[in-house]
Amino acid sequence: MSENILSEGTPVTSTSDVLTPVVRRSRADQIFRGIATTASVTTFILMGLIGTFLLVKGYDALRVAGWSFLTESAWAPDQGGAFGVAAMLPYTVQIALVALVIAVPVALCTALFITEYAPRKLRRILTAMIDLLAAVPSLIYGLWGLFYLQPRLITLSKWMADHLGWVPFFTVDDQYGTSLGLFPSSTFVAGVVVSLMVIPICTVVMREVFSQAPAGEREGAMALGGTRWGVVRDVVLPFGRGGIIGGSMLGLGRAMGETIAVTLIISPSFDAKWSILDQGSNSIAALIALKFSESSTFGISALMAAGLVLFVITLIVNAAASTVVSKSRSGASTEI
Amino acid sequence: MTTTLNRTLNDSSEDKINTEERIKIRDIEIVDVIVMSGSAVSALALSYFFFQILLPVSGVLGFLVCWYVFFNIISTVAVWELRGAVKAKDHLARTFIWTGGMAAVVPLILVLVYVIGKGYHSLRPQFFTQDQKFVGALSDSTEGGGAHAIIGTLQQVGLASLISVPLGITTAVYLNEVNGRLAKPLRIIIDAMSAVPSIVAGLFIYAAWILALGNQQNGLAGSLALAVLFLPTVTRTSEVVLRLVPGGLREASLALGGTEWRTTSRVVLPTARSGLVTAVILGVARVIGETAPLILTVGGAFVMNANPFSGKQDSLPYFVFRLIRFPQEAQVQRAWTGAFVLVILVLVLFIIARAIGGRGPDHISRSKKRRLQRKGLA
Amino acid sequence: MSSDIALLDPGHKAAGLTATNVSCWFGTKKVLEGVNLDMAPGQVTALIGPSGCGKSTFLRTLNRMHELVPSATLAGEILIDGVDIYRGAIPVTDVRRRIGMVFQKPNPFPAMTVAENVVAGLKLSGMKVTRAERDHLIESCLTKAGLWNEVKNRLGDPGRALSGGQQQRLCIARSLAVSPQVLLMDEPCSALDPTSTRRIEQTISEISETVTVVIVTHNMQQAQRVSHRCAFFLAAENEPGRIIEEGATREIFSNPVDPRTNDYVNGRFG
Repeated sequence: MSENILSEGTPVTSTSDVLTPVVRRSRADQIFRGIATTASVTTFILMGLIGTFLLVKGYDALRVAGWSFLTESAWAPDQGGAFGVAAMLPYTVQIALVALVIAVPVALCTALFITEYAPRKLRRILTAMIDLLAAVPSLIYGLWGLFYLQPRLITLSKWMADHLGWVPFFTVDDQYGTSLGLFPSSTFVAGVVVSLMVIPICTVVMREVFSQAPAGEREGAMALGGTRWGVVRDVVLPFGRGGIIGGSMLGLGRAMGETIAVTLIISPSFDAKWSILDQGSNSIAALIALKFSESSTFGISALMAAGLVLFVITLIVNAAASTVVSKSRSGASTEI
Repeated sequence: MTTTLNRTLNDSSEDKINTEERIKIRDIEIVDVIVMSGSAVSALALSYFFFQILLPVSGVLGFLVCWYVFFNIISTVAVWELRGAVKAKDHLARTFIWTGGMAAVVPLILVLVYVIGKGYHSLRPQFFTQDQKFVGALSDSTEGGGAHAIIGTLQQVGLASLISVPLGITTAVYLNEVNGRLAKPLRIIIDAMSAVPSIVAGLFIYAAWILALGNQQNGLAGSLALAVLFLPTVTRTSEVVLRLVPGGLREASLALGGTEWRTTSRVVLPTARSGLVTAVILGVARVIGETAPLILTVGGAFVMNANPFSGKQDSLPYFVFRLIRFPQEAQVQRAWTGAFVLVILVLVLFIIARAIGGRGPDHISRSKKRRLQRKGLA
Repeated sequence: MSSDIALLDPGHKAAGLTATNVSCWFGTKKVLEGVNLDMAPGQVTALIGPSGCGKSTFLRTLNRMHELVPSATLAGEILIDGVDIYRGAIPVTDVRRRIGMVFQKPNPFPAMTVAENVVAGLKLSGMKVTRAERDHLIESCLTKAGLWNEVKNRLGDPGRALSGGQQQRLCIARSLAVSPQVLLMDEPCSALDPTSTRRIEQTISEISETVTVVIVTHNMQQAQRVSHRCAFFLAAENEPGRIIEEGATREIFSNPVDPRTNDYVNGRFG
């Protein structure tokens, strides 16, 4: 056999740095490795291409707009006017934050419910339900949000504007009094619908981290007479802190990139505002979906630039999230 | 001989199981049950009093919220009095966590029921055989169909799978089995790719495939955009599945003199088969409803175009997205029919994935059994 | 010293445990059958026997940790000072607080400091103490566990920063802080070096006047050194574990009745 992996008679010790085992692979293995490596390199290149092409095609518009692309809130590239993402960006963040404010507590409870509280049968069903929640297309959530949720939700919007109007986010311009007609197509409604798409993402990450909380410490807390909540508070939550933060950030990335549901619900506004309850909102993704068909070459270049901004932001948010999650998985964050 | 002996021993011990009375462990004690039901009833009475008599508002939801708040206050105070502060906190946390867990499920059911209820009644068999060629905005909502959109979706998703599934699984094999130098940066890239917003994937294909390479909007462009979204999903889930294959199996194969390639193709992949199939089907279920990238790439059409490589195509989600924004009631209703079909498609895929995922690696399909019998191995 | 342990509970004294006809199952597999054992107050009882004979399972039934394993069931009766611990007379959290447990692998809470670890049980079971009481409790429990001198300047370090033996003694201190009446120890020294083992054995003999101790051990010398009474568990092949012999430690080791006990304590199998 020509495939002797080690030269004969040489003792192999793991600590020795003298001998590096000579690995001679068979032809089949070389081809196998070659194919696997090629596939990986393809994936690599693809990712690089996304950023590159958005930059190349968006360059025309970026050159014209310069830094004002980040400070200008109007959007009239085809009319020769100014254009920028200064209105879309805050709206995008607002929608994402509304979604997170709802989704994170729900996801936290769901994850704790699945790992700590649910009877075994219910646990399986609920896990499947969360998977299904992730599989339902965002289009469907958008339709439901537009036709079912919105007419019901604006009653709550009005109530919040009437009673909690002193909170800056809930203040609406009510010089004509608050009527229900003031509240549809708002940041709030869009955020609530997007939260449904964020819940499964956060839940999956948190559940995974919680379920890795070491059994020894759980039992230790139990053996001291701890209640279930005591165990969760003193063992599970401190252990899963990284997962909670990382999962929420992954949800943030998803929420900012959500397109169709937001496009269906909002009515586009190009003036950023604090209030989230009244009509008019926007997001970079929705802008692209809405403006694409009516844009000329230059307009599309401007949309590419907007897409690039969205791409970079979600990339940063996600990279940060992955770092936090993977750190907590290896248990590094529990060492204080 | 020994086996019979063992069996009789086992049998006798199983008999004893029934004779000894096992202690029933109650997670919830009777006191708790009494406190809970008492609190529920008194909260009902209180919220009726407050809600119906004192407050000038009405509605089922408001009443439920009111009841929930009262229930929590009353039961927590009761547990506090009876069992102390620690138990009260435990009780409150338990209620909140149960509520939160249910809060994730209720909207899912509402969404599914609503969409199915809106869509099913205008579904006719011709929805699967006709397109919108002879249908105007004012035609009846049951006229015409979405066959062109369904064909488009199937072709686009099929092509996307043809690209992503082999590429994704091979990449996962590289990450897990070859584990070369690129593995670490590759994981980061895959993570980053799964974060690409779907609209950005559409923009990318539009910029690279249509603008830069001079192609037209067609089904293929759509499937490329879907493939960009599909690839990281397949890679990540397959990697998880491959990681679950016990390392001992690999070592056993290598120790038998198997090459890496044979170990992977004959031992690792077959062991992970059902998991991989599940991963792929779940991935398909997710991209089948993608709308945003298709707006930019497939062009959309109202007539049948069964050639994904030339000419504008439609897709089911895009069909729904366009029609729902029409002012005419009939068009909107057509969109609901499409949404209904889409939801059913996703549900069916999801159920298939679950059913396959439940099978262990030792499950031998009927066709495989036949093959083995032919070879004389079974 | 005993007054320190009883700090939180003036009426505190060691309690006796009585197990009557205890059988255990995991699913349909019976692992323990018909165990009767009396663990007298203020005494150290050692449970010995080869691996897989059900002694750890038995230990875990004594403070209701057994039921945490899904599919685990049991039959029989376990009384603490004559009160049944399983049939609702005492809430399960109180059972576990009164009957503490030290595990095979040290399991200090990683997110807490050394001092916080000691008083973690107070927080978990909702006992309120003043700051002075708490500081006193930390010192007395760590002293009891033979750890005070080593960690008195490191109370703010994370619990995981200590060595394995120190972590285990920290876990003992943590268990003592809620003033248990019984302390169960599941091979507490199996992962430790001889010096740490010796310290823990000292601790056991010191606390045994105020706390009943039940210890599972594979180490015959240890059983002889620390225990007053001994119970020998054995499981025949494909059969559940049973107690073969039980009695004063001296008797079990010098003059066993059953030949199998004789073989085991003299190291001829297991």
